[in-house]
Amino acid sequence: MKLSFILGRLLSAIPTLLILTFLVFIALHLVPGDVVDIMLGTQNFLSEEQVQQLYSRLGLDKPLMVQYGLWLKNFFTFNLGTSLRTGEPVAKMIVEKFPVTFELALFSIVFSMLLGVPLGIFSAVKRNSKPDYVIRVLGLVGLSAPAFWIGAIFIVLVSGAFVNFTLFGFVPLFKNPGVNLQVMLFPSITLGMMVAAQIMRMSRNSMLDVLSQEYVRVARAKGLPAKKVILKHALRNALVPVVTTAGIQLGYLMGGTIVIENMFALPGMGRLLLQAVNQRDYPVVQGVVAFIGVLIVLLNILVDILYSLIDPRIELG
Amino acid sequence: MKGETRKLVKKFFHNPLNAISLCVLGLFVIVALFPGLVAPYDPLKMDGEYFMSSPVGAHWFGTDQFGRDILSRIVFGVQNSMMIAVLAVLLAAALGTFLGVIAGYFGKIVDGVIMRVVDAMFAFPALILALFIIALFGASVPNLVVAIGIVYTPIFARTMRGSTISVKQNLYVVSAKALGKSHLGVIFREILPNISSILIVTFTTNFSTALLSEASLGFLGLGVPPPTPTLGGLVGEGSRFLLAAPWIALFPGGIIALIVLSINIIGDGLRDTLDPRTGK
Repeated sequence: MKLSFILGRLLSAIPTLLILTFLVFIALHLVPGDVVDIMLGTQNFLSEEQVQQLYSRLGLDKPLMVQYGLWLKNFFTFNLGTSLRTGEPVAKMIVEKFPVTFELALFSIVFSMLLGVPLGIFSAVKRNSKPDYVIRVLGLVGLSAPAFWIGAIFIVLVSGAFVNFTLFGFVPLFKNPGVNLQVMLFPSITLGMMVAAQIMRMSRNSMLDVLSQEYVRVARAKGLPAKKVILKHALRNALVPVVTTAGIQLGYLMGGTIVIENMFALPGMGRLLLQAVNQRDYPVVQGVVAFIGVLIVLLNILVDILYSLIDPRIELG
Repeated sequence: MKGETRKLVKKFFHNPLNAISLCVLGLFVIVALFPGLVAPYDPLKMDGEYFMSSPVGAHWFGTDQFGRDILSRIVFGVQNSMMIAVLAVLLAAALGTFLGVIAGYFGKIVDGVIMRVVDAMFAFPALILALFIIALFGASVPNLVVAIGIVYTPIFARTMRGSTISVKQNLYVVSAKALGKSHLGVIFREILPNISSILIVTFTTNFSTALLSEASLGFLGLGVPPPTPTLGGLVGEGSRFLLAAPWIALFPGGIIALIVLSINIIGDGLRDTLDPRTGK
């Protein structure tokens, strides 16, 4: 039964992946002018014949669906073309930058769980008390404050108060863990703040739901101490939707990394994407956007599968 | 019906936070509608005596690297950012409601096709999709509205589809259909009025995130091109002088947070008011 669920979930992603890649592919064709015009820009030194050669080399003289098929085949064999600026393969650039983004996203999600889950549970258990109100208002503030503003405040405060703290200057984790963790600390907190607020709200709601369920009331009526009821009976069930929320937030995190990486000068995919956008380096933009889209579809499937493993009630359909 | 509405209004204002937030948002709407009356200076005027001045009597929020008054730039930034976000969410609401209602009402293949496209668009993080569209078509006010509007369409489509499906099963819809009413008639007379409260809540919650998206694009330098002030753009420009003149970035950022916070509180309040499950 489990296996068929996993298979079904994988199969259902195929149309999504096809449409997604098609959207990214076709978007470049919707641009005023065509790809070759854009590639050449204003500095067009090529002869008419060379331009024609460029068209056929890029496969632009073939029918649209054939072009898409070729692009898709290249995409899934991780052949994403080369940068118009540096001539480097886009796939190589992504492979280089991805670990930075991955580390940032991972730290952020860990931070947001560590902060959001306990606060949410505490808030639910102490419902309508003063601490509950404070936590709820803080949650709303966390949802509302733009990440770049929180980041700016951190930069001003930290560089003013802790002169010796390394805020900028990324070094890979395995090269110098101490510096890496220092450099990644505030970007991760900044990025995780909004997710922490989401997770806090979700944990609170879900805990309130669970606490009002029959079995929790029965456990209490049996005379079990409140702490034991909360930790043993309620918490596990309350965490199921929280895991899903965390999964859904992966998308936000991937988007948020653009802002954070540029703010804290981290050499990840987000920075790569923004540079490519500013330089009109279309193969890089297209490659990174398609890569992120596909990655998120796959991550969502993974979250669904994990979810089905945690919660035995979930079955296919 | 009138008594019902009054009860809902009373319920909404029962929480003082809702009333305060509505006042704060109202204030910003007035600022957005009449920036010329509120701003102490022309947002583009350079004051030769004050360059990168910290907050002083003549310039409450300080001045930027060209000696422009930050407060005045924020006031006009509020107008530009709010206008883009409102138009974008209106576009998303119209497009998304259309797609969602069609998908939910007709079901089967129509539903399948629409929802697969929606799923695919949903896979992109909002900011990356908006950035992609801006990268291809360039940054301008109409392009930003369309880009952010497209990004938020899937959310409306999903929510409205779900609501349509649940409303569709009600007896009054089934009987309206049985009486031979046209599809259009059923959709406009029976379905839309019954999903409107959910539409309002979805609109409010997404208005705040759309403001954040616009601000993020502006911060990244992909919003309305300078010298036109937008809130995110102001933070982006100011973040280059974060250590020398933190007020340039921090004030507009705080204003964004304040506007979004008030909308979020109102959104929560509306949801609690309109959702019968939380009613007491």
